[in-house]
Amino acid sequence: MTNTVMDVVDLSKRYALHHRQRPDSLKSWLSNLAWGATSTSRDAKGDEEFWALRDVSLQLHQGECLALIGKNGSGKSTLLKILSRIIPPTAGHIVVRGRVASLLEIGTGFHPDLTGRENIFLNGAMLGCPSRTIRQRLDSIVGFSGVERFLDTPVKRYSSGMYVRLAYAVAAHVDADILVIDEVLAVGDADFQRQCYGHLESQFGRGVSGIIVSHSVDVVRRLASHIAWMDGGRLRDHGGIGSGILEQYENSHSGERDSP
Amino acid sequence: MNPGDKHLDPRRQDVPGDEHGGFPGRPSPASELPALPPSRLIDASAPSLRGYWHELFAFREVAYMLIRRDLIVRFRQTYFGLAWLLFKPLMLMAVMSFAFGYLAGFQERQSAPYPLMIFCGVIPWYFVSNAVPDGMVSLRVHIFVIQQTYFPRALIPIAAVFVDAIEFVVAWLLFVMGCIWFAYLPGWQVLAFPLFGLQLLVLCTALGLWLAVLNVRFRDIGNLIPFLITVGFFLTPVGYPYAAVPEQWQPLYALNPLVGVIEGFRWSLLRGLNGFPLGAVASSVAITIAVTLLAVRHLLATDRHLVDLA
Repeated sequence: MTNTVMDVVDLSKRYALHHRQRPDSLKSWLSNLAWGATSTSRDAKGDEEFWALRDVSLQLHQGECLALIGKNGSGKSTLLKILSRIIPPTAGHIVVRGRVASLLEIGTGFHPDLTGRENIFLNGAMLGCPSRTIRQRLDSIVGFSGVERFLDTPVKRYSSGMYVRLAYAVAAHVDADILVIDEVLAVGDADFQRQCYGHLESQFGRGVSGIIVSHSVDVVRRLASHIAWMDGGRLRDHGGIGSGILEQYENSHSGERDSP
Repeated sequence: MNPGDKHLDPRRQDVPGDEHGGFPGRPSPASELPALPPSRLIDASAPSLRGYWHELFAFREVAYMLIRRDLIVRFRQTYFGLAWLLFKPLMLMAVMSFAFGYLAGFQERQSAPYPLMIFCGVIPWYFVSNAVPDGMVSLRVHIFVIQQTYFPRALIPIAAVFVDAIEFVVAWLLFVMGCIWFAYLPGWQVLAFPLFGLQLLVLCTALGLWLAVLNVRFRDIGNLIPFLITVGFFLTPVGYPYAAVPEQWQPLYALNPLVGVIEGFRWSLLRGLNGFPLGAVASSVAITIAVTLLAVRHLLATDRHLVDLA
């Protein structure tokens, strides 16, 4: 029996859409306090609910790589943010076993004014890796990232490709048990992508698990062992890479494109 | 399942399409897989104080690095470097000695050298007037970091206030130099000095933390606080002694928690000047505790929602 590293149970995330453009002000907060109104009563006042995620249940086992596929706005990034603990769910829960290292969007917590070197340590600390360990692995991180020349340059002067190289290099060296990667690698050039995919494959072989978001079917096919198809905040289908979901997804895609 | 339900039932064996073991090309997970740490629950509930404290400790290196960076940025490319730390409070003292001691004539009534009395007000005031706004803006300034990684959000305002606290501690060198200049030696009361210092640190950290969290959501705070600090200067005994306040106004005046701290510094460093300000110290300690409790409560309730609120 394999170890479950991540168990997502009935996970939901609700947002309130404010149709009137009204900033969240101290005044409205105070009047809410004064009249005993709660945030739910505001929904009644004409603000619309939006469920970015609705009752999503998934499991991830050790050594697996789950690819989330789906259109923009289907809830993939919301799911990744919740399991990276950046935002809380509205309902449901996740049980996580192991350290999660996330690469969400570009930047992944880099501080623009700090140099590459300083950011390696800061980012490492944010990913729960002590600076002692980072110091030992600094050469390896720098080597992987290929930004040696710019190590003492503030990262705000980095190109987006350099940014993501460094971010990936740090995340690859913090002994994470679960790697969460949101499409960011697409920014890197072909060589770097190849390097990352090779690295990821070796990690999955060693018992590291992964959750990736990718719009590239080729990348999914190469890396993923499992697929979860998200649609409108719900899990439309999920299963192994061989279960035909990916093909179905591709077909639905091209079908849409063909229709006028 | 309820949002706050911590109960972990053995669940969901019935998820479709989740059968395992048969994917060709995948190394089948074997017993030599790395051992996993104990599980963590992510749900809608707010963290407990104890859990949050553990996380603060676990991620303390993030705070070290933010502090280090702030110190470097503050003094990098400055010609006078660390001298700025002492120069600003020194100038404030000189101006206030002139305005309050000489022009307003408070000087004659004091048993201790007037500049030393002013230092006891200027040094803490300078700290508060920097630390509170620095703490307040810190989360908003770092929002892009918060949006991309998790660590206890409180580390950011704590680090911001801590940098000012380092300046605060160093600034007391001015008082020491003043003592040498005036050949003045404090009495036994100096033993209480660290306690008042600690209280001020707690107060500023709590205020910075609370305002930082509020400022993410309510931009009004960013307008209010600088104004309050400008007004507060005149309602704090920085340049004049507490005793100058008419007696019937003193209880109201002492609701400003800085009154008790500053008078406490004067009592402890200036040989019990004006007697122990019991009323002001009691009110100040009570307000410090209340602010700290409220700040922690609000932080625990809001920490995880900050990104959604921003």
